[in-house]
Amino acid sequence: MAYSDKVLDHYSNPRNVGSLDKNSAEVGTGLVGAPECGDVMKLQIKVNPATNIIEDAKFKTFGCGSAIASSSLATEWVKGKTVDEALTIRNTDIVKELSLPPVKIHCSVLAEDAIRAAIGDWKKKNGQHSQAQAAVQPAPVEQRA
Amino acid sequence: MALTDQKKTAQLDSGILVVNQSRPTKVNCWSCGAMRAAHFCQECGKVQPPTPVDYFTFFGLPFRLNLEPEKLEGEFYALSRHLHPDINAINSDREQQWSLEKSSQLNDAYRTLKDPITRTEYLLRLQGVQLEEQSKAATEEARRTGKLKKQVVPPDLLEQVFELNMQLEEMRMNKKMGEPDRTLERELQDSKKHVQDRYNGLVEELHAAWNEWDALIDRAEQGGSVLEDDRIAVRDKMVDVLNRRNYLRNLLRDIDEVLEN
Ligand code: FES
Ligand SMILES: [Zn+2]
Repeated sequence: MAYSDKVLDHYSNPRNVGSLDKNSAEVGTGLVGAPECGDVMKLQIKVNPATNIIEDAKFKTFGCGSAIASSSLATEWVKGKTVDEALTIRNTDIVKELSLPPVKIHCSVLAEDAIRAAIGDWKKKNGQHSQAQAAVQPAPVEQRA
Repeated sequence: MALTDQKKTAQLDSGILVVNQSRPTKVNCWSCGAMRAAHFCQECGKVQPPTPVDYFTFFGLPFRLNLEPEKLEGEFYALSRHLHPDINAINSDREQQWSLEKSSQLNDAYRTLKDPITRTEYLLRLQGVQLEEQSKAATEEARRTGKLKKQVVPPDLLEQVFELNMQLEEMRMNKKMGEPDRTLERELQDSKKHVQDRYNGLVEELHAAWNEWDALIDRAEQGGSVLEDDRIAVRDKMVDVLNRRNYLRNLLRDIDEVLEN
């Protein structure tokens, strides 16, 4: 299967690879996985507490080229958006931008999941329990420290 | 997977009892009118037209997950020989066409059932479980409710997979620069044992679920009733194992790759 030019570009020149301090109150971390292939993705955001604007984003993905490209693109897209705006990003937007074929759709879903998980983590840290957290998932141990 | 199978899956999602009813019973030979076996007439031996059956039924097997590989292999080779184009060259065009179609059905069926994992996945598909769809469905649920997405595997497994991948990457870099880190290497060797144990545990879990499943099938075949809840409980155990399996499989593969190179 041939990757599109945009996938190749993000794959060979990924933007925003790295990590942010997960213990900072301004940082939200999302770690997600795709059971169908066993790939994992971590995406982190740094939010300005005064404006709710995402000022920085980093990712690290262990997975296929499409997953790397999707997460690279996701970090580009969330930067400069408010958290609420970032929550409107859909995997279908990523599919369109990167021209992903049907078998690679789950890779884009992974990126949407990662954004959502990172924002959920940030909201939890900042007491915005409103709807981000129900009893669906036990908090990762690292955040209880 | 062929289109016809997907359509069939949709009809069969209400469970093994329905699956059982879908099995062809008495059909007459198109040529001599005698009652035929699944693939060849018992009386005149002529090849019978292909029917869109599931792979278990194709081999005349019950929907059991424990099966004897040698027996399946034997069936496969016997059928392959009978369906071979050279053997059917003297037959009518229609029969040759049927043999061809059946041959490809046979190959798909054998490939799917031979491997324990694809066999399990296939049986789950027959019950309407689309393994690829669960994660997407959970994402949609998260969008709708604004709640955090329920990951289909425990978070600590993801953490472990991520951390190990970080170590593997470091090890790769070290090796590339010609300075392998012995401590890290030892840690990875330990991790490998740990992951292998976990993987073996999964295989055991899967086999236990197989046995439970087969007990339900046996009961159904003997005319007993099977509770829908029991069927779903066993089915979900298998789904759960398969969801965790790929992560561990990848890790084992990658650890080996890094340690050996
Ligand atoms: S193949 Fe699974 S994330 Fe791309
Ligand atoms: Zn006949």
